[in-house]
Formats: sequence, structure tokens, C-alpha cells
Amino acid sequence: MMITGARGGTFSGLRRLVAMALAQELEALVVPGPEIARVHGLDLAKAGLPLAATPRHASVLLIVGDLPEGLRDAASVAYAQMPRPRAILALGAGDLAPLPAADVCAALSQDGLLGGLSELRRAFAAGAFRDDITDFEAPALEIRVEYTCPMHPEVISDKPGNCPKCGMVLMPRETDASGGDAGHTANESEATMTQHNTPAQPLKAQEHSKHASAEAAQYTCPMHPEVVSAEPGSCPKCGMFLVPVEDKDVDDKHSGHGGHGDHGDHGEHASAEAAQYTCPMHPEVVSAEPGSCPKCGMFLVPVEDKDVDDKHSGHTGHGGHGGHGDHGKHASAEAVQYTCPMHPEVVSAEPGSCPKCGMFLVPVEDKDVDDKHSGHGGHGDHGKHASVEAVQYTCPMHPEVVSAEPGSCPKCGMFLVPVEDKDVDDKHSGHSGHEGHEGHSGHGGHASAETVDGIEPHFMSMVDVTKDLPRSSDGLQMDWLEVPYGPFFPGLPGGLGLQLTLDGDTVSGTNIRNLVGYSTPLISTPLKPDDFIARLVKMMPHAPVSYGFLAVSALENAAGTAVNTNTAQGRAAALERERIASHLSWLADFGAQTGFRWLASRAATLQLEVQVADIAQIAALNSAITALVSRLQRAPLMRMRLKGIARLDDGADAAGPLARALGRNEDVRNDNEIFSALGFTPASQTGGDALARLQLRCDEIDQSLKLIAAAGVITAPVVEDIGKVTGKGEAALETPRGAAHLRLALKKGEVISAQLDTPSTRHVALIEDLTAQQELGDALAAIGSLDLAPWEIAGENRV
Amino acid sequence: MNIAIILASLVLGVYAIAVVESWSTYGRLRLGGPALSALALLGRESVLARKPDRLFFETAPVLLLVAGLLAVAVIPLAPGLIITDMATGALFLNAALAYVLVALIMAGWGANGAYGMIGGWRFLGQFIAYAMLIVMPITAVAMRAESLMTTQIVTSQLELWNIFYQPIGFVLFVIAAMGLAYLPPLDLPLAPGDLAGGIEAEYTGIRLGVLRLGRMVVILSLAGATVTFYLGGWLGPWLPPWAWSAIKILVVTVAMLVAGRYMPRIREARYLALSWKLGISLALANIFLVGVIALVVPI
Repeated sequence: MMITGARGGTFSGLRRLVAMALAQELEALVVPGPEIARVHGLDLAKAGLPLAATPRHASVLLIVGDLPEGLRDAASVAYAQMPRPRAILALGAGDLAPLPAADVCAALSQDGLLGGLSELRRAFAAGAFRDDITDFEAPALEIRVEYTCPMHPEVISDKPGNCPKCGMVLMPRETDASGGDAGHTANESEATMTQHNTPAQPLKAQEHSKHASAEAAQYTCPMHPEVVSAEPGSCPKCGMFLVPVEDKDVDDKHSGHGGHGDHGDHGEHASAEAAQYTCPMHPEVVSAEPGSCPKCGMFLVPVEDKDVDDKHSGHTGHGGHGGHGDHGKHASAEAVQYTCPMHPEVVSAEPGSCPKCGMFLVPVEDKDVDDKHSGHGGHGDHGKHASVEAVQYTCPMHPEVVSAEPGSCPKCGMFLVPVEDKDVDDKHSGHSGHEGHEGHSGHGGHASAETVDGIEPHFMSMVDVTKDLPRSSDGLQMDWLEVPYGPFFPGLPGGLGLQLTLDGDTVSGTNIRNLVGYSTPLISTPLKPDDFIARLVKMMPHAPVSYGFLAVSALENAAGTAVNTNTAQGRAAALERERIASHLSWLADFGAQTGFRWLASRAATLQLEVQVADIAQIAALNSAITALVSRLQRAPLMRMRLKGIARLDDGADAAGPLARALGRNEDVRNDNEIFSALGFTPASQTGGDALARLQLRCDEIDQSLKLIAAAGVITAPVVEDIGKVTGKGEAALETPRGAAHLRLALKKGEVISAQLDTPSTRHVALIEDLTAQQELGDALAAIGSLDLAPWEIAGENRV
Repeated sequence: MNIAIILASLVLGVYAIAVVESWSTYGRLRLGGPALSALALLGRESVLARKPDRLFFETAPVLLLVAGLLAVAVIPLAPGLIITDMATGALFLNAALAYVLVALIMAGWGANGAYGMIGGWRFLGQFIAYAMLIVMPITAVAMRAESLMTTQIVTSQLELWNIFYQPIGFVLFVIAAMGLAYLPPLDLPLAPGDLAGGIEAEYTGIRLGVLRLGRMVVILSLAGATVTFYLGGWLGPWLPPWAWSAIKILVVTVAMLVAGRYMPRIREARYLALSWKLGISLALANIFLVGVIALVVPI
């Protein structure tokens, strides 16, 4: 018996001993996440399978249930990051591609887990090492190195050598696997070391991307020119509308110019910089700007162009910083000018208001060092070039073709490539015009950055590097990083992918991409009522009972049938049981996220017991659950950790526990006579911060225990035969995360259409505001406090 | 000979700590666990991160281990059972453990990954929080012993252990030591929930093994320092001195390891604020009180 992810080496002697140890010391990365494993009744701690904090520390990829395609792709990246020997244990999973076939498949149950694990341990002990290992490449990570001529970008070779046209040495550059060369296989170590998707991205690449994103920015605040945004909106400092920035420079260049003697150089430059962002899954998608893939919505990842580093020594990554530094120097030597945000041609040496529109003039640090530009009107907006830059596009073969938009060359049809013009003073000197100037933008002084006496070319001064960056709430200017969080991050709900832009350790931007949302419309073909219920239950693993009852209620509403009080109370009790389990699961996740390990393990154990307990068992668990809740609230550092974190405004678009933690009495159960009969009174907290939400969930656990005791019976979500009904029905129900609404239409007893509104769809929109300018740990606690269920967020569904 | 005995007890101590730590982390007590873990780490690939700072990446785990070992050198386990009884032992302990900071920043930076790097820089912030609270309580301890020699500090507690003589200093020192050893709830540079392992996130296989071993030695040296400075070192009735040292060190270690299981990780900003605003004031008060007592009461 072997494992497919065995480590290379002859299996003998000491290695047998090591293999036995490996078999006992498995650590799991759970896909999609431990909370989903618990919903399915898997007790990993009991099975002796600890959770790894990162794929790097895991030896088992534990797959729980069927995975949508996007999640499988992400899992393949995580798998590639796991050190060998490694294996895949699939519980109740279907197709795994692009992952390799599972080493052990088992049923999705605790017994399946235990059986699968012992089989896996035997496989590890018997085959952790072997001579003939096969490489695994995550398709999302394929990168290959190709060689190209700095002067002739059309010359591309997969081997180093000299250019057949000019004899220059070909330069290596990394590219994604899209471009031909079918024979090439990215080797294993390359794949495992590339981490574009999960834990650590190469920092240089990130800086690169930061750079480019800065150039896409086009809106600025009239009062705070340092505020620059790629999208219209309002200024975070003063609330004014951001105004668009016209790059006058670009226009000038286009209108006036014929010459371009130095453009050969441009061409070279452009070719080196082509293809900056690409989709991990669709390598044919290439963009000059960060964003998401038009095909699958994944984050585009930066492609590091080795070439640029080598040649321009100072262009990408750290090189970019050199530029900033230089920029700073230049700027300090400059007189500050003032310009109108709306009329860049208005330039003044003194502050004041615009003669055209009366707006306040904003200061500009004109860093075009030389006085040769002094006659230019259009220079007013140069100052903010570092952040407000228009990218131009040019043909790699025909440098005279310059366009403000991407497209193809009218002469040869090649794709135009973006130009970051970094040619500096030496080139400018001969110009009468100033075509290079927009290139000064963050890269301003590359050339001179390399010639500072006594400082090596790549010297990176934090002061210079951060000089022009906006400041975050902690007042520190730091380098910006784009860091992927999820979809399997230990402190976040599984399936939810975030990309945080970190300014030091302060979150300055959040990009959300959910891999597991449900589709709208909910169904595409007519379904029988039972199938519809089953489908909804399967789609919503975080709260299957709630959504099952929601479907049942809507169907009964459409059919006009009603159930007797006893059944209704049993349903209420089942709902409350799920609420307890769900809140306990949230507590376990919260414990895992904040390192409160006792809470993580205790709450998880209780959740596993409660979610399948009958009335008598719940009564028996009652004291254990209340003990957990009261002990939790007395834990040291607890209040300090959560107080004031993620505070919502009173009017925030929040439902369920989030709204009730704001003191708003929003609860579908209020209007339900069954719940009234059981003695329901809505829980309420004030404050609206993470601490209030924790306390509210604790209160609700207590309350649900009482409701279940009052109901005295638990029933399952089944609908009686509703016959061949045609009609419409709707239902609302308080899920553990808030009110969900379902409207459906029946035709001859079959569900033909359905629309669903879920609380998580509303709550996911809160992330951005709650995390903005928060310290990283606080930001993640803020996201955690929302108790998002990624499956319950409307979006593309791949179930 | 002394060195051999101390190294042997170090191995035993580290093993015991590893058992306790694994229990505190996973909730399972497995006596054979650390041996299996070590073997398993040997068996796993030690992946080199993409574009690492190779020098930093390779050196950091070893440096952490060396820092811990150097600190152990001045911890007396019994009269005469000490690697080097320096005249500046208490100061040397500080100097050796200062390299923990360097090692962690190198580990974070070297892997060229965001999580590690943030973890490393976080520890720099953490250093600012704990550093003064290591040094200032030691000052008060040395004031009473009128020496920086660790053996002298132990014998100065013959009448009354420092934990009773200067309880404020004891509490501050233990908390600061937990910060230095980045133990929960002060495990900000690891923070599995926000940094996916932080400085350890990019380490695998044997390099991870050394990094974790280094931390165990640091924990052990700090527990040894706590016992030496506050719990009377080897002093105690009936049992032989080395046994008292062993028992006390184990108790302190278990307490430090288990405490974090029952509370959430502290917020970075709160930690710094508490350390400076409250901790340093208390440490100064402690020095003052100890000074007064040392002058007035002859114990």
C-alpha cells in the first residue's frame, strides 16, 4: 500500500521507523473547513487528527463532502503546498480534479473518518517513501521560465542563449503556463513553492501589484490630494466626493508629438512588462491591472517578470521603491505648486481658489526636476503622479503606436502592452516635449536611485519607500501588501476567500470572493417538493434544518395546508436545537481564531452532541452548556479582546443576532404564535460590537434551551403530500444568522421557481467597513463576529 | 561533567515541556508524542520557500536554539551544578535572550511570505512590551542579592523566597517571560487564527523541528530563570537540591503553558498599553519597595 504523495527515497532502515512516526503524527488541513466537518458530525479531535494552521504543516488533506469546482482548484493549491509525504482523505466526496485521486475514500461520517484514518495510517507506515514519485502540479500554479531578447520581444526561447537577431544574451522571465510549450512541465518544487493563492505570496510580486494598482487610480479628493481611489466615492477624511483626475500630460503627448527617437527603448521596456496579472485558473486571462478574472471571478495574481528586475534593476518590487525614494528627493527640491482638481491647466504658485470653478487649489509637488518644463500648463497634476497615473499602451513591435486604451496594434495586430515609462532625465534632456513624464509616476528616479554614492543600488529605505503612501489609522506609513486570506484560512469561515491589503499590519482594503455561494435563481428545472427540500438542505450546510423548514413552510403556504400545534412546536424545537449548535460552532470558531483553545475544543464537543440530541439528551446537556456559557463570559482578557471591535452603526443593514446586538428587536419569531406559546421573548444587547454579539449569542443559547424544554418534542423537516397544487407561497424563518425569506411558485405539485433572501448575503457587505483601518487581528475578529455562512451568500453556485 | 549533566537534564526537560505543550494545544496527553513528532518532522520534506532570504531563513532556527542554550548556561540546578557561574549571570541571561528577537525577525523575513513577515515584526512590537518587564524585576532581585551571580541570587533567598519578598516582581517577570517565549495568550508572532502560524508558517520538516526545539529551550531557560530568581532555586527541605530545581522548573513551565489555554490571545495594542502604562509603573514601584525593605528589614 502506497500513498500518492510519498516522499522520494528508498524505503528502508531508519525510514521505516520515520514512516511509522509519520503515520501517528498526521495533521489535517480540512477542506472546506472544520466547521463544515462538525456539521457532518465529524469529531476530528476524538479521531486523533489535529488541525494544521497552514498547509505547510499538514500531511493530510481532509476533504469533507462534495466540493464546488472553485474550491477544488483552491484545494489543489493547498495540496501542492503541503510537504511530502502527504495524502488525501476524501469523505463523501465526488470528483476531485484537479486534485489527484484520493488515497482513501470513505463515507461522510465519524465511522468513515475513523476507518479512513486507520487505513491512511497503515498506508503512511507502509509507503511514506518510495523511489518513483510522481510530481503533482496545481494547474493554478504553473509557472515556467522562458527566455527572451531585451531588444526583440518576439524572440522567445525555453532555453537560455543568444538572440538570433542581435546576438544579445536572452533574459529569463517567468510566465504562466498558457503560452505554448506543451512539453514543459513545471516541476514539483516550483509548484509547491509558489503560493499565489494561499499562505504566503512572494512579497516582491505583491509589491509589484501594489504598484500597478496605484497607477490605475483615478479619483482624488479636492481637499486631500493624498486620497486617491480607483473608483468614484467619497473621501474617507472629509467625506467630499472624489473628483476624477485628468492626466493632462497624456493628452499633450498624444497631440503634439511626432518624433519619438527613443522609442525603441520603449518597446523593449513594454515587452518586458507585458502580462502583469493573470488568473491562476485561466492563464489566458492577462491584465495590466489587478482585479478578478472575467471567467471565474478569482483574484488575478501578479506575474513576476524576472526580466524587469534584471534589466531595469529598480523597476518591479523593491526597485519600485528606489523610485519612490528618488521621487521624494526630487520633490523636496521642488517648489510646491497648486492646481485645481477639476482644471489641471490651472496652476498657481500659491494656494487659493480656481478662477474657473472656484474650488480650492490643491498642492502639487512637481517632481519634474528640470526647469525645461516650466512653460507647461499641463504639469499641474504631475505632483500626484505617484498615485494617479494613466497607463499607456504601445505595440511591442511598433513603438510609435501609442494608445490610452488596451487593444491591438493597427499595424501588426499584436496586443498592445502597457508602458510604465521610466526613462528619466537623461532621456528627457533632448526632448522638446515631455512624453516621458507621466512615467515619472512612482518610478520617477530609477536611474538616479542607482547612483547614490555609497548606497548600493537596491538599498531600500523605509522612510523613502513609504513617503508617498497614505497613512493608515495608526499613523504609520508602511509598505503595502496584498495578502490572501482563505478559502481555507484557519480563522475564517471555509470557502470564503478574502484578499486583504495590509498597510503594515493594518487592513486598508478588503476584496471578497466567495467560492461557494448559492446561485440565483435557485432552481433551473422543476423539482418535486421533496427534492426541492433536499436540495436546499444540501446547499446550506451551515444551517440545513433551518433551510429545510423554510422550504417546508413555503411549500405549505403555497398549498394552503397547515400542521397541528404539536408538529409546529416540534419544528420550533428542531430550529432552536440548530440555533444552539450553530452558536456553539461559532464559539468554537471564535476560540480557534483567537487562540482560546479550551473554548474551541469544549464548544466543538458540545456542538457535536447537541446537533443530534433528542429532547432527553438536550436536557442532560443543559448544565454543561450553561456552564460553558458562564465560564466563557468570565474568561480573562475576553472583554478586552472584543470590546469596541467591529462596532456597527445603529442603522446598519444587519439581521438576526447582529441586529439584536444593536438593541433592535428584529426577529421573525416575534410574530409567530407557536413561539409565543412557548414563552419566547427576543434576546437583546446594546453596543453593537463584537462583545455584544458574543453575549447575545450566549443569551440565545440559554433561551433556546428553555424553548426546547417547553416544546418537549423535536420533529424533522418533512412535508406531507401537498398534491398537484399550483400556486405561490412564501415563508420567513429566523435562521441562526437572521431572517431568511423564501418565495416559490408551484405548478402541478412541482416547484418551478424560487427566490431566496439570506442574512449572510446582507452581512458580507459589512466586511469592508468593519475591517477598514483595523489592526489585522481585530479585523479578523470583526469578520468572525459576523458569523458568515459562505454557502448562504447569493452568488455563483457550484453545488 | 556539569555540562553533560545539564545538557542531559535539558533534554529531559525539553521532552517534558513538549508533552505538556502538546496536551495544552491538542488536549491529548501522549507521553510518546514528542518523540513521534520529532521523527515525523525529520521525515517530512523541508521545503525552501520561494525566493527566500536564504541566510536568514536557515540561520533563524539555529539562532533561536543557541539563544536558549546560552541562557541555560547560567541557570544553576544545584550548588555547583551550573555550566558557567558568571559574575554577571543575570545580565547574561538577558543578553542571550535578546537574540530571540533577532531570530524571530529573521525567521519571519527570511521566508519571503507575508504571514511570517508580519509575525516577525509583531514580535518586534512585543519586544517593546516585554523587554523592560524582564529587566526591571531582575534589577530588584539583584538588589536584594547584592549580586548578579545567579548562584548568589539563589542563596540570598535562603530565609525567604523572592516570590514572597517581591511578589509584584514575580508576576511581572512571569508574564514578561511568557511574552518573550511567545506563549499563549501572548503568542502574537504565531497567532494561528490571524497569521496561520506566522513565523512558523513557511517552515517545514527539520527546520520547523529546530525552530520548535529552540522555543522549548527558551521556555525552559525562562522557567529556570523564574525558579532561580523567585522560587529559591534548588532550596528546599528533604529532597536533594537537583530534585527541587527539577520540580520547581516543571511546575512553572506547566503553569506558563497551560494558562493560555483558558483565555483568548491578547490584542497587540492592549498588550503594549498594559505593559507600559501599568507594567512599568508596577516594576518601578517594585524596585522602590524592594529597596526600602532591603534597607530597613534585614532578611
